[in-house]
Amino acid sequence: MNDRPELFRGNRIFLACVYWAFVLYVFVPLILMVVMGFKDSKFIGFPIRSWTLDWYTGVFADAEVLSTFGYSTAIAVLSTLISVFVGIWIAVMLEGRRFWGRTAVFGMTVLPALVPGIISAIAFRIYARWLGIEPGMGAIVWAHAVHNVPFVVLVVMARLSTLPRSQIEAARDLGADPLISFIRITLPYLVPAILGASIFCLLLSFDDFVRSFFLGGYEPTLPVLIFAKLRSGMSPEINAIATIALILTAAIGIWAERFTRRMNKET
Amino acid sequence: MTDQTPLVRIEGLSKHFGKVVALDNLTLDIARGEFVTFLGPSGCGKSTTLRILGGFERPTSGRVILDGEDVTSQPPEKRNVNMVFQDYALFPHMTVAQNVAFGLELKGMNKSAIRRRSDEIMSFLELESYAARYPVQLSGGQRQRVALARALAPDPSLLLLDEPLGALDAKLRGQVQQELKSIQRRTNKTFFFVTHDQEEALTMSDRIVVMNKGKVEQDGTPEELYFRPASRFVAEFIGETNLLSGRMRGTEGDKVVMDWEGTTLLGKAPAGLPAKGEPITASVRLEKLGFSVERPQTANAVQGRVVGRTFLGSRMAMQIAVGEGNALLKAYVDAETGRSVGTDPVWIGWEADNMAVLNN
Ligand SMILES: Nc1ncnc2c1ncn2[C@@H]1O[C@H](COP(=O)(O)OP(=O)(O)OP(=O)(O)O)[C@@H](O)[C@H]1O
Ligand SMILES: [Mg+2]
Repeated sequence: MNDRPELFRGNRIFLACVYWAFVLYVFVPLILMVVMGFKDSKFIGFPIRSWTLDWYTGVFADAEVLSTFGYSTAIAVLSTLISVFVGIWIAVMLEGRRFWGRTAVFGMTVLPALVPGIISAIAFRIYARWLGIEPGMGAIVWAHAVHNVPFVVLVVMARLSTLPRSQIEAARDLGADPLISFIRITLPYLVPAILGASIFCLLLSFDDFVRSFFLGGYEPTLPVLIFAKLRSGMSPEINAIATIALILTAAIGIWAERFTRRMNKET
Repeated sequence: MTDQTPLVRIEGLSKHFGKVVALDNLTLDIARGEFVTFLGPSGCGKSTTLRILGGFERPTSGRVILDGEDVTSQPPEKRNVNMVFQDYALFPHMTVAQNVAFGLELKGMNKSAIRRRSDEIMSFLELESYAARYPVQLSGGQRQRVALARALAPDPSLLLLDEPLGALDAKLRGQVQQELKSIQRRTNKTFFFVTHDQEEALTMSDRIVVMNKGKVEQDGTPEELYFRPASRFVAEFIGETNLLSGRMRGTEGDKVVMDWEGTTLLGKAPAGLPAKGEPITASVRLEKLGFSVERPQTANAVQGRVVGRTFLGSRMAMQIAVGEGNALLKAYVDAETGRSVGTDPVWIGWEADNMAVLNN
């Protein structure tokens, strides 16, 4: 009994070290990236002799960056709307029901999330050409939507499985047909899940490089633009763009997480 | 009510879940304005019956006639029947007022009529001050009343209640039982109430249907069930009772004579008379046994010795060994008498009308 606490303490210290090493490993590159965006020099690297905000003002003055940002946002919003609509539909069809081929449908639904990005991007490219879909916004939206549907399905199914059967029965009992009870009872119950899934889809789409690269036309999305800029040489402007994107996505992610958690608590 | 046709006719209702027979050829009429309770142990098919009446379950065979109309295959939204669910199933994203108005909206009533009706029902159930609250902001008893208000608002011809008091603590339960009963009287609605709590059933019902394994064991008023149980199952399930196992000796008028522990006892005859010499069981309630030092004038009298007593406040439960000592009787006496009884033999007496001979 006596040497147990010692053992525990040793373990605890070891675990704490591993944890902090991991945190450093993850955050140091991010911190470096942010810091370099304020460096008053064209070359990335230490030492930093003087600081500037020029790179940031440059970003906001750069029409190309701004329009790309808008383009990426539009793609994210459109693909998310499609994923959410299709995802809810599939989730409702699958959850709590037994029918022949259910497992197969479920497997096929989840598959796009598991296929490596590069493979699905090439597959989409070939398929799009075969169907005669021009590279560009439509193709990218389509690929993002298909890729994101599984996340919507999984999140919505998880929430649906906790909806007490008596809720729907009570609605039916009071005179609601299946459609009305879905709209008035099931959908409101799903709101936290739908919101969470939407934010996740928005971020996934905004962040995607591979599919956007393979299916894009002449207009680049933000990650594709950053990639193009990188090829013409690393400059702190890229750090500034990346930092802004980082702050925006982190803010949205944190807000969404807190919001859905609060909503979950309320119901 | 002037209309003498039953509100609900259940005809030969059966329900099978795979190999499980939840309901076995149930036939039953429910009159208008009646408070009927379905009572039985867990798994006897109470909820299944209710769910078939509500339209949530299709029977394997049989029919449900509501107000003269065959509703067996009607979906729940088409039936003029509402249900109070065991978990209340209040809609969490709607306020109390919105919950209550839900059924009215779906009836296609206009805004002002909805308003009037939900205000009326909320004030009837003293819920006005909670109208703007959400279900999470209510206590258990308040939620229960909201569930009741929501189900009553559309003015159903039949109200189904599936163990609606199960989630309340003992004290609140007693209070809500009285409330429910008085609401039923004042609205003059037909209540179909399900419980596995016999005390609750006795307190509230006009009529109790005792169920066992998907079948009706007995159907009658609380008094009938309590004092004239038709079977051993009912006698044991409702209240506490003494069960005496003896042999059939014969009849005397409309009474049965039975051999028990070396004496003969008189009891009320069951529906079908057992043959002479057959083993039979009789039931006599604890409070129907009287104590005396001298042999009493009652139809039945046996001598015994007190072997145990339990103080219960105003009264005492006594255990009396009878005959050779292998038969035990339990009786309630007032605490005074209970204390005065010593270890000397005592006489226990009871009337023939207070003992029911049962079909095993
Ligand atoms: N959906 C179902 N699938 C399979 N079996 C079921 C289903 N619903 C009920 N049963 C079975 O039917 C029988 C009767 O169930 P029911 O729910 O009517 O019992 P109950 O009298 O309401 O019991 P309790 O007091 O526990 O609520 C039980 O044996 C139960 O296991
Ligand atoms: Mg039940």
